[in-house]
Amino acid sequence: MIRLQNVTKVFKRGRDGEVRALDDVSIEVVKGEFVFVVGPSGSGKSTLMRLLTREQVADKGEVWVAGKNLRSLRSWKVPMLRRDIGYVFQDFKLLPTKTVYENVAFALEVIGRSRNDIALRVPEVLELVGLEEKTGALPGELSGGQQQRVSIARAFVNTPRILLADEPTGNLDPATSVEIMRLLDRINRTGATVVMATHDQAIVDSMRRRVIELEGGHVVRDQSRGVYGYGDR
Amino acid sequence: MTRLRYLLSEALIGLKRNVLMTFAVVLSVTVSLTLLGASLLLAAQVDLATDEWTGRVEVSIFLCDDRTCPAITPEQEERLRDELESVPVVAEVYYESKREAYERFQELFRNQPTLVDAIEPDTLPASFRVKLTDPSQFGVVASQFASYPGVEEVVDQREVLNQFLRFTDIVRNGALVVAIIQLLAAGVLIANTIRVAAFARREQTSVMKLVGASNWYIRLPFVIEGVIAGALGSLVSWLLLYFTVPNVTEQLRSDIELMPFIGTPEVIAVAPWMFAAGVGIAALSSIVALRRFLDV
Repeated sequence: MIRLQNVTKVFKRGRDGEVRALDDVSIEVVKGEFVFVVGPSGSGKSTLMRLLTREQVADKGEVWVAGKNLRSLRSWKVPMLRRDIGYVFQDFKLLPTKTVYENVAFALEVIGRSRNDIALRVPEVLELVGLEEKTGALPGELSGGQQQRVSIARAFVNTPRILLADEPTGNLDPATSVEIMRLLDRINRTGATVVMATHDQAIVDSMRRRVIELEGGHVVRDQSRGVYGYGDR
Repeated sequence: MTRLRYLLSEALIGLKRNVLMTFAVVLSVTVSLTLLGASLLLAAQVDLATDEWTGRVEVSIFLCDDRTCPAITPEQEERLRDELESVPVVAEVYYESKREAYERFQELFRNQPTLVDAIEPDTLPASFRVKLTDPSQFGVVASQFASYPGVEEVVDQREVLNQFLRFTDIVRNGALVVAIIQLLAAGVLIANTIRVAAFARREQTSVMKLVGASNWYIRLPFVIEGVIAGALGSLVSWLLLYFTVPNVTEQLRSDIELMPFIGTPEVIAVAPWMFAAGVGIAALSSIVALRRFLDV
């Protein structure tokens, strides 16, 4: 479902300085997997996520997502790729003037889905995330956990094959984080491939899923049923 | 249908959010297109006025008809024609009778029935209309035939026309240059406005990008926003011309009798051009403004 082959991404800093955000990284994630990407800030997690959505293109190596080579993908086809990917942010990125229902429906409206489709699908996914009672609320009236559930509903409403989550629990307390993880787990069980970048040690340890650790742009560990760090590190 | 409604409502939201900027855009488009329309109308006026004059005629030799000098006799007329045709620089000689002159006059001033009514069919003089192989040789013809018996006057039509054309060309080109500069300024203003609008809605567009909305779906509301402002400017400027130009030419028509003037039909005829220019510059500058801002 996702394959990175010897991928390098370099950012220029200042005049001749450069940062190797990813350095010769090879990763393969198969359909239906749940993968944590861990590592300190600046280890390359965010760059990895941005390569997967084709916000950026690798300098070297090949990136394959949902059967598409992202280097040769024409830019007008990028939207099609993104309809196969749901994206969940740390800061939710909900539109403050739209209600819960409208925020979720928006994701379908802008890709041209019919009104009937939308009227059918949005309540379904709001029920999945447990917000069927809050459809008319504005994001500002919700707790952080509820907002993140709206954002997950928006990411999943189009039933994408891949769900990318960038620090989805970063702004939430531990109890709420657990709820969010249950939700992501449930979505994973429907067959979606989930890749989650995180700092949250407790969550990684409790889930016992595959863990890919990045450091300085390199994969330093790739372990199935792993934990956040080695021993007492 | 859902899409169309979405696009229009987004565009209107953008326009309302920035009323002052929208007003500035409409105003600057109005100014530039009024100038553009005016220069187009001036060109139409020149065409109308010169159409009949240019034709094939370069030199007119008006013949006496007893009003200012003794009428030309058939023999004098015959001799004049023979002599004219024997001059080397003369390419063609055409006789215009009083009746033909009157008919041409009627045609030329068909928009001014009062003027036509004021002229008797007999008033206009008959003439020889002479085309020269080399129009600059007018002086040769003039000096040779001006004093001929039965010739009232030799007139170089080209010179009359050229003076008029030189003047109108300057005015028209001046208006056109200012119109184009104004149009460019309007384009820059539109681009800037669209950029502000896109920046104000960057949250929404970033969400749209990530859920896979197509580029055009994201951009179109902004382009429509620009185009609406451009179209509004075109409309205002056209209405301005529509309600002023016919009145002005009506006034001129009564002041300057011997020239045909444009009217409402010509103002209507320039509408598509003004509209195309206004909408075109708005669409173009919106697209350019969004090119880098909203790229994936």
